[in-house]
Amino acid sequence: MTLVQTRGAAPPVRRNVPGRIRVISGITVAALALLFAALAVGSSSARDGLRVIGRDAGPQVVATAGLYLALSDMDAQVANMLVMGDQYTRQRAEALDQYERRRTEANQALLKAFELSGDNPAERRTVESVLDGLGRYERLAGQALLLDERSAHPPGPPPREVVQTYRSATDLMRLELLPQAYNLTLETGTIVRSTYDEKALMVPLVRGAVLVAGLIALGCLIWLQVFLARRFRRVFGPALLVATVTTAVSLFFGVNVLGQDEEALRTAKSAGFDSVLTLARARAISNSMQGDESRYLLDQERADTYEHTYLDKSLSVIYFDAGNLDAYHEKVAERSDDFLGLLGPELVGMEGEDVMAAYRDFQAADMTFRRLALDGRANDAVAARLGPVTSAFHSFDQAMVQLADRHQSVFTAAIDTGESALNNLWRLLPYAIGAIGLLVIAGVWPRLKEYR
Amino acid sequence: MKRVLAVVLALAAAVVSGCGMNGQESIVDKDQIVIGVRLDLPSIGFRKPDGTYEGFDVDVARYIAAKLRKGYSFLPVLAADRERVLVDGRADMVLATYTISQDRKAKVLFAGPYHISYQDILIRPDERIANVRDLKGRRICEVKGSNAAQRVVEERKVAAQVVPFEDYGQCLAALKSKRVDAVTTNDVILAGLAARDGSGLRLANAQFNEQRTGVGLHKGDVPGCEAVNRAITDMYQDGTAEKLLRKWFGTSGLNLTTIAVPQFEGCS
Repeated sequence: MTLVQTRGAAPPVRRNVPGRIRVISGITVAALALLFAALAVGSSSARDGLRVIGRDAGPQVVATAGLYLALSDMDAQVANMLVMGDQYTRQRAEALDQYERRRTEANQALLKAFELSGDNPAERRTVESVLDGLGRYERLAGQALLLDERSAHPPGPPPREVVQTYRSATDLMRLELLPQAYNLTLETGTIVRSTYDEKALMVPLVRGAVLVAGLIALGCLIWLQVFLARRFRRVFGPALLVATVTTAVSLFFGVNVLGQDEEALRTAKSAGFDSVLTLARARAISNSMQGDESRYLLDQERADTYEHTYLDKSLSVIYFDAGNLDAYHEKVAERSDDFLGLLGPELVGMEGEDVMAAYRDFQAADMTFRRLALDGRANDAVAARLGPVTSAFHSFDQAMVQLADRHQSVFTAAIDTGESALNNLWRLLPYAIGAIGLLVIAGVWPRLKEYR
Repeated sequence: MKRVLAVVLALAAAVVSGCGMNGQESIVDKDQIVIGVRLDLPSIGFRKPDGTYEGFDVDVARYIAAKLRKGYSFLPVLAADRERVLVDGRADMVLATYTISQDRKAKVLFAGPYHISYQDILIRPDERIANVRDLKGRRICEVKGSNAAQRVVEERKVAAQVVPFEDYGQCLAALKSKRVDAVTTNDVILAGLAARDGSGLRLANAQFNEQRTGVGLHKGDVPGCEAVNRAITDMYQDGTAEKLLRKWFGTSGLNLTTIAVPQFEGCS
């Protein structure tokens, strides 16, 4: 009775062993597939983030900020030429040269911005509208310059008809074209923020999924080995052992690389992009501030408006609580570090102090310049505008450029690090996948063959 | 895998919308929003006897809500309430001639500006004031709670005589009876008042002190601010802005030669 029972039970056990080997191997392969699928999803998500932030938005900020600066400086150069009058022949030629150079830059930046705007229809419309307006602006500016040359006035405000023509030109530039260029720059900030917010959640989650899938796969490989060792009385299956080690190494590198990319995205945005964008905006606003100085001199009827926009822009760049421009000049000269505004959080460290010192010099030059204008010394005011004010502005602008360059290199380095980590991972991963597959087969196949 | 991804993304979206807002949801994630508008300014934000609202700000608010695909209700606000209704969460968005300034930015976030206006001067038809400096020695009206007249004296340093009044109604009466020579504030407010008054009072078109009128939002609602900015860009690109400005201010003497999307303040 007992014998019969044993005989009856034995064949199912023998049939079950290859079946169980197949099941465990199947689960193992599925867990491995899950691991590599998760790694692929995480990598492509991180790569997408690095591309949008590093390859699209970064250059887009440079292009659109370049567009704003070129346009703003064109208008400032025209205003400068109009207040020079019948003197300053050399400066006039230089200003005209600079105007032409800026126009070329603006055209190039427009092309670049159009190319980078991709399939965003609102951005494309904006670029087209700026392109359109630029043609009209050049015509109006040309007319103003021609009328001005004919009028042969002394340095200072030109005759009324010149001012009227220039008004149409500068209104077009300041009220229509520059805002659009500025908003394009802001839009890239929007794209970066939403991409970053998505990736900053997605990448860590996928990294967690990779870790879980990897641990399951390792568990399965060990389970398979233990099962085979018990059934076939072998201590080691060398192929499976190597497969396990390879999986462990892939898991370690995969999780590590995704971690690195998370960090790269964070650095690129917080330490790089955000500051680059803020400084680009501050440079844009500052540039139109110095244009407002020339316009203040040129258009007496609107002098109050231009003085107010100058103050308003100063306040948005570096904010002190001041009700009018005199009070603001005083506050800036006090050398207080307690200020808000766009540059508030940016001006740290040595470079930050350089920027602030240059800004103080610029505002001091502005104060002198306005005093001359108010005293009715138009000729001296023009000389101050073209001399000390312009050079103080350039030093300030250069200091901002230096600060921006440092953030730009942090940005570029972070994007490069993130991308090269991904590239290295995927250079090795296909071999690892292939090797693990072959090793699992090599570990299981001979055992299954014993049942043939 | 697709499904897992969808779940993960949904979770992620839930976490994103929850953070950095001190528990206040972004308008992007709401179905219904409350919009604060003025009830006292003709042509801008005005409550009609039947309880409905009309005006430029009101139409802009409707456009933005439609672009964001949100249902909305209006909350009437006066100048002094604008910040409070945002901070205490009674309104999600405020369009109420809310001028962007650096100190206001400490408490609220501004999308836009959706319109640039200027401080201007309202005068009698026969008056010859053309410029803020022409106010020197003249009597100008000051409405309680508005700093416009003070700005002439302090910011522009023009020695005008400031005469205080309770509201714009009294100001206009004083202007017509020559107890004051000018009323100065935001040009759209003056244009609305002049249009409603109808006795021929006119704007001097002095256009000093640029004022950027923005959309007030909860501080921290960056996604909402970005969405509103995109809606404003659309409003100018599709011609709605021009239509609305002409509808409300076309005959008021307001200078409408340049209608273009303003330079945004930025959401960060």
